Amino acid sequence: MKSLLLFALCVYSSDGGSTATLEAAGITRLCAESDLSSREPLPIPGITARANLASPTRIPWIVANGWRFTRNPGGKYVYDLPVGRAELAAAEAHAYGADAAVKIDPSDAGLLGAMLTFLEGLPAANLPVIADLAIVDDGSAVTGEVMNLLARRNLLYQIVTASSPRSPITITIGSPQYPREEAADPSAFALKIRRQLTDDQRTLRVFGSETVICRLTGDERQTRLHLINYGGRDIEGLRIRVRGSYSSGAFHVVGVGRVPLQDHVIESGTTEFSVPRLTTYAVVDLARTAP
Amino acid sequence: MLRRDFVRLIAASSFAARFQTPSALPKLRAVSAYQSAPTPGMPGPYPGRVVSVRSDKCIDTATGAANDEVVREMMARGMRELTGARTTRQAWQRFFEPSDMVGLKVNCGGYPHCVSAYEIVAEIVRQLTGLGIPATQIYVYERFQNQLDEVNYAPHLPQSIQLVAAERANRNVDNAGYDPAVYLEADLFGEDDTRSNMMRLVSQRLTKIINIPNMKDHGATGVTGCLKNIAYGSFSNVARTHQGGKSHTYSIVGTLAAIEPLRSRTVLQIMDGLRGVWHGGPFARTRAYVFYPRQIIFGTDPVAIDRLLLDIIEQERRAHGAISIWDRSPASLKVDDGRARDADPNVNIIIREPGHVEFASKLGLGTYDLARINLQNVSL
Repeated sequence: MKSLLLFALCVYSSDGGSTATLEAAGITRLCAESDLSSREPLPIPGITARANLASPTRIPWIVANGWRFTRNPGGKYVYDLPVGRAELAAAEAHAYGADAAVKIDPSDAGLLGAMLTFLEGLPAANLPVIADLAIVDDGSAVTGEVMNLLARRNLLYQIVTASSPRSPITITIGSPQYPREEAADPSAFALKIRRQLTDDQRTLRVFGSETVICRLTGDERQTRLHLINYGGRDIEGLRIRVRGSYSSGAFHVVGVGRVPLQDHVIESGTTEFSVPRLTTYAVVDLARTAP
Repeated sequence: MLRRDFVRLIAASSFAARFQTPSALPKLRAVSAYQSAPTPGMPGPYPGRVVSVRSDKCIDTATGAANDEVVREMMARGMRELTGARTTRQAWQRFFEPSDMVGLKVNCGGYPHCVSAYEIVAEIVRQLTGLGIPATQIYVYERFQNQLDEVNYAPHLPQSIQLVAAERANRNVDNAGYDPAVYLEADLFGEDDTRSNMMRLVSQRLTKIINIPNMKDHGATGVTGCLKNIAYGSFSNVARTHQGGKSHTYSIVGTLAAIEPLRSRTVLQIMDGLRGVWHGGPFARTRAYVFYPRQIIFGTDPVAIDRLLLDIIEQERRAHGAISIWDRSPASLKVDDGRARDADPNVNIIIREPGHVEFASKLGLGTYDLARINLQNVSL
């Protein structure tokens, strides 16, 4: 079965005469420049250097848009991308099911075409989001930045309109427990939330990189994990820990294909496995162990 | 697959309570299914025993070139004195047999002026192959391939020696060379990646390891000797332990070194003191801070050797009028300012933790008390 195509992506090339180039790369959903003006522009995804914040750990500054898609899933977006970022933008939009147009340099047509072919070939999976936290979105910039930092730390959240009994932690910025002044430093705030939740209780952990952002969806039978690599370099041996027992699964890695789980371990109610090589994007489908 | 974990909560021990640094020790969780050997390699059969062989002829201090012949003689004498064996071959036979897969943990971080000497590495390989260990069973290893490439041991060694690194460079993208089942887990500064994994080479292939550190100052640990070289050179993601002026190396160096099978398999310590670095370590991009101890130290007890190293580096720094490796004064601290540190030996970029050596002794890795260290000095 082919993908349900949960995202809608169309492509516009900055080179007006390159339609043939795009079509030759297998890109058929083309959009006109007039389609772009009404869409919300997005920052360019990837990592940026922070020269004045160098540290021995060299934690990179990631620009990611998943939180924007989560905040406004019905929005229409546009990326205006420099050379080399088209694949990542397509992966990001796909992972969150976003309606996005990408404006690309024609030289990226080949890689983007391959990515779109990969996305369309993924097995279908329309699963609800899995979250450890809930956040009440007041629409403010501060809350948006908190969501951004939670996502970057792979602290899985869902947006709610009021405190949710289904979530052990509901964040309401401006409440006594989560004062607005604290949220003004979103990185420290995200760390506070992480410590509150505790690493042991997190549904998802990622080891071996700090440039991979994940989205986790699933139901009682299966789980789908999206891995988006913002670092610009392939990562070997990324280690994933997911709460729950999953006896089988497979990776679908763009540029690599379908590969089995590596160093797969189920123990104490958690499952761990390694991703042999993560390029820009991978989807991991996991099947729950029968009770 | 189910895995048995041996988990130690270092910070919860009564030891931690009575051995505090100025700030509390982090909670560390070591995970390994490997059992300790009946006599672990560290501290091994000679706890507290150290042999130092010195020769003024071992190095030309004008050029920095080592004398191969003198180094061989120093190596032979040191191994015989350490073991009490009548012949050099018998001395090496105390540790190795032809079926062993032997790793040589070199130190390449001080390129170009202070790395594990070609002459020492080559002589170790010559002795091992002389025992009947095929060259294909000998691995010279480091964490980073680019550092191994810079130093380039290959022309000095038999062609079939394996030169192995876990990562292409220090970029945090190559994890395949590390064992996902053997690691230290710790949240030190709120970093997302909280694991440091042991190299697969160490856990899955080698049966014995020879540790070949240099005599160097270190900006985060005070000195980098046996413990730091074997610990931080065998695990991933360790740069995260020191940042923003604060170093967690105090407890982490020894804790990593004590994780099995690294502890049991590291059977011999040969500290290369032909050259040394008294400031700016672990790097040696300039000869300004290079000095020449002109000695090689032998032992199985990494703590005892490193205890002596603390005094060697401290003495050299004192001779140059530099602040002590034990200095914790905020006045000396210029956080993360590597340029200032490189220019001025009275600048720290992190508060150093030379106490990591004593901490390691409390984990059973060796002898820290000078009164209990049996040092034999040999001059050639």
